[in-house]
Amino acid sequence: MNESSGCPGSRTQDFRAAVTAVEENQGKVKSQLQQWPIQMHLISPVAPYYQGADVLLAADCVAFALGGFHPDYLKGKAIGIACPKLDEGQEVYIEKIKSWLDDAKINTLTVLIMQVPCCRGLLNLAQQAAQQAQRKVPIKAVVVGLQGDILSEEWL
Amino acid sequence: MTPQLDLPVAEYLNRDIKAIITEFPAVADILGRYDIGCVSCGLGTCLFKDVVAIHDLSAEEEAALMAGIAGILYPGRDVVIPATARQDRPKTVGTRYSPPLQKLVDEHGLIKRWVAIIPEFIENLDIATEAGRQEIRQGIDFIRSFADKYHHAKEEAILFKYFDESLDIIKIMCADHENARARVREMLAALERQDRETIATHLKAYRDLLTEHIKKEDEVLYRWMDRNLSTSQVGKLFAAFSEKDGEFGGAPKNYEDFIIHLEKKYKIMEVSK
Repeated sequence: MNESSGCPGSRTQDFRAAVTAVEENQGKVKSQLQQWPIQMHLISPVAPYYQGADVLLAADCVAFALGGFHPDYLKGKAIGIACPKLDEGQEVYIEKIKSWLDDAKINTLTVLIMQVPCCRGLLNLAQQAAQQAQRKVPIKAVVVGLQGDILSEEWL
Repeated sequence: MTPQLDLPVAEYLNRDIKAIITEFPAVADILGRYDIGCVSCGLGTCLFKDVVAIHDLSAEEEAALMAGIAGILYPGRDVVIPATARQDRPKTVGTRYSPPLQKLVDEHGLIKRWVAIIPEFIENLDIATEAGRQEIRQGIDFIRSFADKYHHAKEEAILFKYFDESLDIIKIMCADHENARARVREMLAALERQDRETIATHLKAYRDLLTEHIKKEDEVLYRWMDRNLSTSQVGKLFAAFSEKDGEFGGAPKNYEDFIIHLEKKYKIMEVSK
C-alpha cells in the first residue's frame, strides 16, 4: 500500500510484490569496495586511494536501491557517501570535495543520488564545491529510482 | 526455412556500405529514412555492420532498417539480418556531450562562424594592397593554426588514440583534415603569386568541406565516441585537452577576436549554434 501524502523522501512505499516477482541471479556478487572509511565526515580527501581516482559521491540510500551498485558503479572507483537530508555539518563536505579536485587531483566525479527531491542537495553540494575548486574535472550525475532503475545519467 | 543464398548475410555485413549501395541503389533510400547519409559521405567506406552502431539506432529502428535492406538484398526470400552487438547501457543516458567532446563542439562553433564569413571574405579578397593581403594571411592562419594545429591536432593526437584508428569513420575524418591542409598549402602559394582566383576556389572548397565535416563530427562521430568512452577515459581526455589548451595560452581568444572583427566588418550575425 502506498501513502500518497507527505514528503516523497519519507513517504511509505511497499515494493514487495515487485521484488519477489523478479528472478534472482544465482551466485555471490563480489564487493568492489576498495577503501575504508567511506562516510564523508570520516574520510580524508587526500587518502592514497583518492589520488587521481575516478570518485563516486553516493547518497546513502543508493547502494540499497541499486541492485548492480558494486559491479556497475563502484567497480574501479573510490567513494564517499553522505545524506544531504539528515547529515549535519555539510559545509565540511564542500571543503572535502574541493580537496578531491584540487589536492587529490581526482580524474572524474560521479554523483549518484536517489530520485527523491531532497537528494538533489548532494548534487548541489558537489556543483558548489566544483565551482569553488581551482581545478575542473568532468562531473556526471546519475539519478536512481526507488526500485533501482537508472532514471537519468548525464554529464554536467 | 532460409534458402541457399549466393552471398551470405555475414559477407554483406563485412562489405563497404558504399559498395552495397552501388550494387543495390535502393538501400540508400532505406538508410536515408533514418538520416544515415552514406550516399553523400565523402569516403563512405564504413562497413555495413558498423553503420547501425555508429548511428545509434534503437533496437526497433535497427530491426526495421535491416528488414528493409534484407528485402532489397534478398528479394522474395525470408532472410533476417541479425541485430548488431551493442553495449548494455541505460536508455536514459543523457543527450549532452561529455565535457571533453563538448569542448570540441564549442571549438566547432568558432570554425562555423569563420565558415559563415567565407562568402563575404571571398567577395572582398583584396590581393592588391598589403592590408588586404595581411587579412588573407590572417584568414589562412585561422585555418592553419586554430582549426588545424589547435583543434584537429587535439583530435588526431589525443582523441582518436582512444579508438581503433583503422575504423573507417576515423579515417574519413583524418582524410578531411589532410584535404584542408592541402588547401592551406595551395592558398599560401597562391598568395605568394597574388593569384586571387585560386585563393577563392580553395576557400570555397574549404567551406564546403568543413561544413560537412563538422556536421559529421557533431552529429555522428562524437555521439558514437561518447557512447564508447568509459567514465575514466572521459576524465583522462578532459585532462589532456586542458593541458593542450594550456600550451596554446591566449591564442584561441585572439582567433575569436579576429572572427568578431570580420563579423563586424561584414555585418554577419553569429552563427555558431
